[in-house]
Amino acid sequence: MKYLDKKIEEIHKLLKEKKIKPIDLVEEAFQNIENSDCNSYITLNKEEARNVAKELEKIEVEDNLLFGLPIAIKDNIVTKGLRTTCASHILDNFIPIYDATVIEKIKKNHMIIIGKTNMDEFAMGSSSRTSYFGAPTNPWNKEKISGGSSGGSASTISARDVLFALGSDTGGSIRQPASYTGIVGMKPTYGRISRYGLIAFASSLDQIGPMTKNVYENALLLNILVGKDEKDLTSVNREEEDFTRFIGKNIKGLKIGVPNYFMSDIVSKDIKNKVKEIIKVLEENGATVDFIDIKYLENAVTLYQIIAMGEASSNLARFDGIRYGHSIKDPKDIDDLYFRTRSEGFGEEVKRRIMVGSYLLSGENAKIYYNKALSIRDDMRKEFKNAFQKYDLLIGPTTTTTAYNLSDSMDDPLKSFLDDVLVNPVNMAGLPGLNLPIGFDKEHMPIGMQIIGNSFEEAKIYQLAAFLEKKLKLELDPNRGEKNV
Amino acid sequence: MKDKLSKEEVYHVANLARISLTDEEVKKYQIQLKQILDDVEKINNVKGYDDDILIACWEENTSLRKDEIGEMLNPKEVLENAPHHSGNYIAVPIVINGGEGA
Repeated sequence: MKYLDKKIEEIHKLLKEKKIKPIDLVEEAFQNIENSDCNSYITLNKEEARNVAKELEKIEVEDNLLFGLPIAIKDNIVTKGLRTTCASHILDNFIPIYDATVIEKIKKNHMIIIGKTNMDEFAMGSSSRTSYFGAPTNPWNKEKISGGSSGGSASTISARDVLFALGSDTGGSIRQPASYTGIVGMKPTYGRISRYGLIAFASSLDQIGPMTKNVYENALLLNILVGKDEKDLTSVNREEEDFTRFIGKNIKGLKIGVPNYFMSDIVSKDIKNKVKEIIKVLEENGATVDFIDIKYLENAVTLYQIIAMGEASSNLARFDGIRYGHSIKDPKDIDDLYFRTRSEGFGEEVKRRIMVGSYLLSGENAKIYYNKALSIRDDMRKEFKNAFQKYDLLIGPTTTTTAYNLSDSMDDPLKSFLDDVLVNPVNMAGLPGLNLPIGFDKEHMPIGMQIIGNSFEEAKIYQLAAFLEKKLKLELDPNRGEKNV
Repeated sequence: MKDKLSKEEVYHVANLARISLTDEEVKKYQIQLKQILDDVEKINNVKGYDDDILIACWEENTSLRKDEIGEMLNPKEVLENAPHHSGNYIAVPIVINGGEGA
């Protein structure tokens, strides 16, 4: 019997009535992972997950829909006692000695960590192919990428192994793989969720977020992740809210903007047509949709390159072979230890980005490039701010194409940046953005739409996403329907 | 415009990043780093509104905390994560020339 295919309320009822136990869900999840065989995981938490499930049998099932449910965690979020690699050789034996704040919250809510998901090395990439452990595959077509950098979290949700996963999003790393695999992925407002224990890539952009098969479950998971944390002073204190509260409401009167750049020639025809169909649905249901200009969107990739690589070069300086992680044998001197440890430990993409970042921040360059980027970033945020004075939400495609082949060349160092051209701006402005599956292309690969909200207005994003999800009624389980047509 | 960096330029950035490179890697990065740096150069053609810069997205919401001792990591566990340690110390190779080896 497959319990994880049921509605979350039904699973909860079965647990409450003691017709099933958390261990049944854990065993089912491990079986699913084996069957779907997408290389979604770097480390499975088999023994501990079973222990936790057994422990949960001893306590009363709470009125918490997440109780006893398995969850997959991206492998750049530290888990006490459970190997955390960032998909890198430099951390391939790293056992954290504390839990990230989000992990504490997950444990407090009695969810069960099933394993650590595959990703691009240090979240640097857009196809998860920079992983030291090999790329995860797309459940819709195993010849295709699942996107990145949260590719493993995306593929395990898409394959219906588990209901919940965490990803992280620095320049699109939740939304883009969600789009390629046909799932719902939310990058919340910067500061919503504590980054304590998220291994830093670009600190002013990084944000953890939920990845799920549907909108409602995404909002449920976000409910428990948010909040001010003394251990991350960029986290923000907000009044408690239920992110599911507008789900089920109609969209009459919603004002929606579509940035012209998002519908320009950089986007494939299939995807643009699908978004146009959605715009029609929105108008038919009482929303107004305007095409608008937002300046600087076309500069987002350049900003991302400068800010993300600059911050990465500084953040990754901590991997020095001294305090944790990989370290060479018999170093001649301290420089030899640094240089050879980092050369052996980091992969090609990571080295490239650290080198460019170091260059961009060195001497006068910091002023020429980094400060200039921060200034344009501020301008871009002002542009979004203006747009949100007039519009409730912005929409557009999440990606310019659907998932491409795993075997496609990786020689072009700019390719991974261009894959994220439509998702980068949201990180720059610190806004919340969600990917919603809206259909399929000719090869039956998923197409995603991005819904962008004003800061701290995730609930409104979920309102629109849930409305469309219900209208579209897509078959989003790759194990069913017209798989691999 | 030249289409690749010189070897010296690649060694310079590798040195900044504390990364040693093989000859093969140097050849590859001569081209790839140049491609990225050319792309980054686009920033200088962008005309902004003003000189304001964005450091934190929500400065109004950020806060300071009191400088008080809170929960701390267990030193023994911290040491066990270090590849080379001895007693209560993390061991590193000699840093200042002229002394005895570590």
